[in-house]
Amino acid sequence: MSRKAPPGARGAGASTSNGTTSSAPALPTISTEDMCPVCKTIRYLNKDMEFLINPECYHSMCSNCVNRLFNDGPNQCPYAGCNRTLRRKGFRSAFFGDLAVEREVDIRRRVAAVFNQAEDDFETLRDYNNYLQMVEDLTFDLVSGGEAQRRTAEATLGRWEAEHKAEIERNRKAGREADEQSRRRLAAERDAARQRRVEALQEAEEEKRERVRNREAELDNLALGDAGAGAGGAQRVQLKRRGQAAANRAVEAAVHTAVAAAADVGRLSIRGLKEKKKAPAPEGPYDPFAGLDFVPGRYKLHTGLGHPGIDKYKDDPAHITGGYSFDEYTARAMFEAFAGLGVFIEDEMEAGIGLSAGEVATMSAGIAAVGDRMELD
Amino acid sequence: MEFNIDDLPVLFPYPRIYPGSYMVDLKKTLDATGNAVLEMPSGTGKTITLLALIVAYQQYYPSHRKLIYCSRTMSEIEKALVELKALMKFRADRLGYEEEFRGLGLTSRKNLCLHPSVKREKSGNVVDARCRSLTAGFVKEKKEKGEDVEVCVYHDNLDLLEPHNLIPNGIWTLDGLLRYGEQHKQCPYFTARRMMQYCNVIIYSYHYLLDPKIAERVSKDLSQDCIIVFDEAHNIDNVCIESLSTDITEDSLRKATRGAQNLENKINEMRESDQQKLQDEYEKLVEGLRGADEGRQEDSFMANPTLPDDLLKEAVPGNIRKAEHFVTFLRRFIEYLKTRMKVRQVISETPPSFLAHLKEYTFIEKKPLRFCAERLTSLVRTLELTNIEDYQPLQEVATFATLVATYEKGFLLILEPYESDTAEVPNPVLHFTCLDAAIAIKPVFDRFSSVIITSGTISPLEMYPKMLDFQTVVQESYAITLARRSFLPIVVTRGSDQAPISTSFQVRNEPSVVRNYGSLLTEFAKITPDGMVVFFPSYLYMESIISMWQGMGILDEVWKYKLILVETPDAQETSLALETYRTACCNGRGAVLLCVARGKVSEGIDFDHQYGRTVLCIGVPFQYTESRILKARLEFLRETYRIRENDFLSFDAMRHAAQCLGRVLRGKDDYGLMVLADRRFQKKRAQLPRWINQALLDTDVNLSTDMAVSSARRFLKTMAQPFLAKDQEGISTWSMEDLRHHQEKMDDERIKELQAQRERELNQPVVARAANAAGGDGRESDYEMDDFDEAELMALDTNI
Ligand code: SF4
Ligand SMILES: [Zn+2]
Ligand SMILES: [Zn+2]
Repeated sequence: MSRKAPPGARGAGASTSNGTTSSAPALPTISTEDMCPVCKTIRYLNKDMEFLINPECYHSMCSNCVNRLFNDGPNQCPYAGCNRTLRRKGFRSAFFGDLAVEREVDIRRRVAAVFNQAEDDFETLRDYNNYLQMVEDLTFDLVSGGEAQRRTAEATLGRWEAEHKAEIERNRKAGREADEQSRRRLAAERDAARQRRVEALQEAEEEKRERVRNREAELDNLALGDAGAGAGGAQRVQLKRRGQAAANRAVEAAVHTAVAAAADVGRLSIRGLKEKKKAPAPEGPYDPFAGLDFVPGRYKLHTGLGHPGIDKYKDDPAHITGGYSFDEYTARAMFEAFAGLGVFIEDEMEAGIGLSAGEVATMSAGIAAVGDRMELD
Repeated sequence: MEFNIDDLPVLFPYPRIYPGSYMVDLKKTLDATGNAVLEMPSGTGKTITLLALIVAYQQYYPSHRKLIYCSRTMSEIEKALVELKALMKFRADRLGYEEEFRGLGLTSRKNLCLHPSVKREKSGNVVDARCRSLTAGFVKEKKEKGEDVEVCVYHDNLDLLEPHNLIPNGIWTLDGLLRYGEQHKQCPYFTARRMMQYCNVIIYSYHYLLDPKIAERVSKDLSQDCIIVFDEAHNIDNVCIESLSTDITEDSLRKATRGAQNLENKINEMRESDQQKLQDEYEKLVEGLRGADEGRQEDSFMANPTLPDDLLKEAVPGNIRKAEHFVTFLRRFIEYLKTRMKVRQVISETPPSFLAHLKEYTFIEKKPLRFCAERLTSLVRTLELTNIEDYQPLQEVATFATLVATYEKGFLLILEPYESDTAEVPNPVLHFTCLDAAIAIKPVFDRFSSVIITSGTISPLEMYPKMLDFQTVVQESYAITLARRSFLPIVVTRGSDQAPISTSFQVRNEPSVVRNYGSLLTEFAKITPDGMVVFFPSYLYMESIISMWQGMGILDEVWKYKLILVETPDAQETSLALETYRTACCNGRGAVLLCVARGKVSEGIDFDHQYGRTVLCIGVPFQYTESRILKARLEFLRETYRIRENDFLSFDAMRHAAQCLGRVLRGKDDYGLMVLADRRFQKKRAQLPRWINQALLDTDVNLSTDMAVSSARRFLKTMAQPFLAKDQEGISTWSMEDLRHHQEKMDDERIKELQAQRERELNQPVVARAANAAGGDGRESDYEMDDFDEAELMALDTNI
């Protein structure tokens, strides 16, 4: 159960992984966090010491050093053996403590800007996964590959960018939109939550006040001699209010689906990438009946149609209960009376409206069956 | 004794039974294959009642549904096993033959290990890890190839036995299992694990079902019609939540980084020595195959939290398929977390916002993140790592990654840079907290048809279905019937000087309140025989009040009557204090134990008979509401389940108070005083369990100290009278005779009811016909016919 001692220099870790000697700049470890490796100032002497790096070589130094060395124009990196020329405006503070990761992420940023296909762009999940691995391999070469590997990776990257320019641009836009949307959605949710919180507080507050008021009212009532009159009513009011507030709280988060504008570009060199189709025409609101009109064409329905057969039930409590309507009944009677009128089977067969004779037959049989049952009932 | 419930013959191993419909309701639940929440006071034979009914049910009906009985602690598990053993013995005596029946208990390796050096490890994690490194599949392979590796002989011996008959039929207590294992040189832990499928009854801890990391491995093969029982389940929501929450610290991240580094080294080693294995793994991942052997592997190295099923079938994303890609992926994620930990202000954010930020800075997408835990498991297996404990922190990070990417709702990330508000030195902790108890328990409800949640104190019952999001068939709280009032609950709201007492924030440190509490303690110390237990709402308050009492000379006064012992957060110290307490209670010196309502003592330790004659609850044990995690949970409960903050807090406080009170009454011949000392208890009375509330007289809910003392004196005097078991008969216990009586009475009632129903049915057709005729269309006359009375019907008839 011997445990490997943790290697001291983590910075070099990334480059050892594929066994080639790396020409990527040797990176410092972060143990220098409290001392500037250039001027050797320690944090103890300068509380707000800030470290900056330049993505040219990722050598970190304190801001004082940066100002001292680079304010008068480009200069050489003060690290021994590092011959890069750095500019003042290239310096920034690092996001990660581990500068190897910082560098890796910078590279990823570049790669991600170019290889930005989404899963939907692929025929199958497997193709997408292969694509992901290809990108990852390429990134790996860029991050820790040897000189040759890096060069080929760069070349691939460049080529891809050139070949898929429009597509990349489109995906980028779609990505930005999606980001923007999710950001907006998050913000909306946060707002809604805050809103609800405030409401809940107010509600509690209101309830408390109500309670106090009720108690007072009750006392008053007691004083006046009719006890118990106030209490029940007040409680009911309170309960009702609570229910109402709950209903009000239903807040809806609008989610828009981005309609990606399609563009017809791209000689594909990745297997399984879907051919782009023209963007579908923007759709109207969804209509489940596909434009079918339910207003009867051959007659007009009046409300309150009567018939001696049904009139006697109009006052019958069994039939005026909720949910049952006499108009419903008359409407159906009218529908049944007119159903089938104006359907000319010969015409339809000539015009060939979808239905085959067999289908028509079964359909009419079905209608007959329904009709029968209705009569039986 | 023997009796029938409906058609089901039940054998009950004791000649007496406590009255009540617990068994009937239980049967109803099982018949309906539904869920139930049942509250029955502890010490009334809840466990044996439950076992007797369910075993009878199993043996009588052909479906033979398996029972899975979950309890909290090892001692409770052992107790249940002993009860079960007695029950089965009784059944065998009665039936004249031994039934084909097997019951087993399962607990951690730490308790069941026999390996001479492994079992001596102190921490459970280390035992697990060491055992794994002795028993893993590849270790055995190596051994077979003749390499010199250490294996565990106890485990190897198991493979020589018939796989479905590792241990004979019968009930095996944990002790018995250990002994059998020692005799036959076979590992008790794996015996139990492997035999679970062939058992009629399994008794183990909650975690094997609720903790998704463990449940996946241990309880996967249990069939759908199992009967699940959670006993002592009043805290089940917290167990659920804890099983899905993690805390990440700077230290754990440092260790995780080291783990990632080790992984990388191992990968490089393996690439040189055994390239093929990596390649095989890679190909398997490309094909989207979960290792077919994984299911069989009883001991996959690390556990994955449960994932939605669709995800389980999907292939691992392409960018973490290769081992080296995955390691850099992990490293990037860890570095990101490290950076986040540097922030010096409190941050709370939802998983989606965390993911958005993560993606922006590291280009880590949600999907590979979700597969993190699984990918790590696969890698660890491929690399054949044996020192798993080194990778524990890494695994925690991976689990966190998976969870955060899987659940959008019901979780919150809270970063607290400082331990307390006053701390100067940052010690950041990233809490990934689960807010929704229903998430962890959902798979249980989805999978098993009957889940029974029961405890001595689980009021208000409707809170649990709400919080855990399930439906019940039966939801019942049983009253207790006693031959004498064997416990006296009282609420003290005022001190002797008539000033109200309370531990609410405004007044808790006022000298007058503290003094009143002090005199309450002194008075009860005077009159209580033997042991007395006092509960405080928190350690902090306990400390401050004790030091104030010290200054007022109250402790000296108490000291005259009782030894004073104090619970501390340290388990060792507390158990020592308990030891002393027990001795003092037994030898007549008497003692007071000062402890905390949410501490270890309040949960697991019984103070029966002389060990606890009075329990004094000082203050309502509310949770510390300033905690950010609690605040987040309250908000979540309000938004999702419409449970209001105050309702939940009060519910939570009262369940803990009830737990504390329940500590002293552990049986029918026991007696004790239950003193609730806070003005606020008066209003919360309704939230006490039914059996306590019922015993609380209206005259006893608003007492001052002196009134309470005199009432307690009277009570103790009656308790001092001789009390024979005979007196209880027919009232608080039923013999066969009483039971028959009761059943006859119930039958009579049933018959009457049936008759009434028949009559009603006779009337029914008339109604239907009448309505039909009236409607002209039967389907539309589908209203509530019962609402009609005869007269109206007649009128209708004549109408036609
Ligand atoms: S197989 Fe059993 S006996 Fe052997 S180490 Fe593991 S738990 Fe212990
Ligand atoms: Zn410097
Ligand atoms: Zn440099």
